[in-house]
Amino acid sequence: MSSRLPAFAADIRAVFAERDVNMTEIDVLQPADPFLDMAGEDLRRRIFLTESETGAALCLRPEFTIPVCLDHIASQAGTPRRYAYLGEVFRQRRDGGAEFFQAGIEDLGETDIAAADARSVADAHALLTRVLPDVTLTATLGDQRLFEAVLAALGLPRGWRTRLARAFGSAAQLATALDDLSNPSRSASYAEPVASLIFDGDARGLAAHVRALMEDAGLSVSAGRAPDEIAQRVIEKAELRSVRLSSDALDALRAYLSIRTELEGASEALADFERQAGLSLGAALELFSARADAVLGHGLPRGCVKFDAGFGRPLDYYTGLVFEISAEGSRPLVGGGRFDRLLTLLGAQQPIPGVGFSVWLDRIEALRGDAA
Amino acid sequence: MTITLALPSKGRLKEESLAVLTKAGMKVMPQTDERSYRTRVDGLDVEIAFLSASEIARELGNGTVDLGVTGEDLVRETIPDWEKRAAIGARLGFGRADVVVAVPEAWLDVDTMADLDDVAAEFRQRHGRRLRIATKYWRLTQQFFSSQHGIQVYRIVESLGATEGAPAAGSADVIVDITSTGSTLRANHLKILDDGVILQSQACMVQALKPRSTEDDATLQAVLAAINGR
Repeated sequence: MSSRLPAFAADIRAVFAERDVNMTEIDVLQPADPFLDMAGEDLRRRIFLTESETGAALCLRPEFTIPVCLDHIASQAGTPRRYAYLGEVFRQRRDGGAEFFQAGIEDLGETDIAAADARSVADAHALLTRVLPDVTLTATLGDQRLFEAVLAALGLPRGWRTRLARAFGSAAQLATALDDLSNPSRSASYAEPVASLIFDGDARGLAAHVRALMEDAGLSVSAGRAPDEIAQRVIEKAELRSVRLSSDALDALRAYLSIRTELEGASEALADFERQAGLSLGAALELFSARADAVLGHGLPRGCVKFDAGFGRPLDYYTGLVFEISAEGSRPLVGGGRFDRLLTLLGAQQPIPGVGFSVWLDRIEALRGDAA
Repeated sequence: MTITLALPSKGRLKEESLAVLTKAGMKVMPQTDERSYRTRVDGLDVEIAFLSASEIARELGNGTVDLGVTGEDLVRETIPDWEKRAAIGARLGFGRADVVVAVPEAWLDVDTMADLDDVAAEFRQRHGRRLRIATKYWRLTQQFFSSQHGIQVYRIVESLGATEGAPAAGSADVIVDITSTGSTLRANHLKILDDGVILQSQACMVQALKPRSTEDDATLQAVLAAINGR
């Protein structure tokens, strides 16, 4: 694996130069904690970790979005602001080299959500078209927020909504969750006095009992899970056990998840779904339609953008649009999405909306090689 | 030609390992003096090296010993891609212990990994940090949480001893640790999740997968056959 800059890097810089973006340089060596905190502990075996002299965990940057956001927060730059990057990332992979190039644009602080989403999809598409002029591209859009709106409209209890929302994007996890919810497991049996406290719905009494247990075990009641938090979830669980997912709700969820259509017909398909399921998706659908119109307004080739209601990414910082763009039979060349929670999680004082995409230059290089 | 068999260097594990070899009809020559860490098996081209159990797993992974008696937990934890580098030749029936996920007993709402998934997902929002798991089993924990149960959002804090005390010490919320009777966990007011047994471990005779001469391979197979026929 060579670490030379791909020949078409200049074309990508040209695409950036035509847009109102700030080309940004990111340090190769990054603090490791933000990546592990955001993406989860599983990332540890896929990044290159090292340590500073003082014992701080550092890593070679495995991606750009988090460092771009961290730099933005640190510089206290005004918003909206768009950052572009092009450089190497470092990951341990079973297939392919451990060093490869990525490029992308992160759009931070733009409050016109639909317009910013659409611009991100259009910019990603324009970039690919520039470097792969003869390749037919397909963009697939998903929507985390719309799925959560369906769950809310179905009137599902909070515990179920969060469980299903979390499984969104992973067909296997979603199937397991739906299965569990339509066949709740046998009720757990509690000893007294817990059983009576649950029966009476006595959250305060239960919290006091949990507090006593914690103090008995020498556990801090403030450093981790708190007594009232535990009591609340005990009662919530007991309530969930007495209900099960109705077959109507299950059918509606399955019908929603099976919606796959060209973007041109997506708003109509969703309106049909609303009618048939007798639900209203409200603001989430309005945003979806505004975004769909805005994407189509960018003049992408007809039929090249699809909406897949079941498409998502199981990372908890994606909040709305998720998308990828592929050539026929290829792995995704671009991955992107909206991450309105990420900047707050990384320490921003005020919520800052964000949307962006990242391009896999090694995959593009392989496709260009095939075409030559 | 000679093959090397690594045995635990002290305590009950050493005694039980030697007992297994004796029962399999192999006579381990007495160490020349108490401080020597090497000896041989009488009448076989087998050299014995006494090492600590975790070193044995590492040396098997590196292929510097041919056979070794060590815990299955250590094999799976210490050797990256262990199935490609080592094979379990025999389970020896001693050193039994489970690697388990345990949470405070006061967590009345948490009985299963699915419960823990719920708690982990909301933890950051409530407490401004991820749920912390204390363990010395990084690899087993990651596999179990991430691959098997799809739980992504947690952090591992390395614990080099007295892991069961981590929740009370405030350094972690949950632990993954080894237990044989569960009494240490109970004494620390911790409970094992219903589906929280990651591995039922015991001492094993483990073979390093590496090229060796026909002669050495025959010796190695003879040792394994004797142990499996004991």
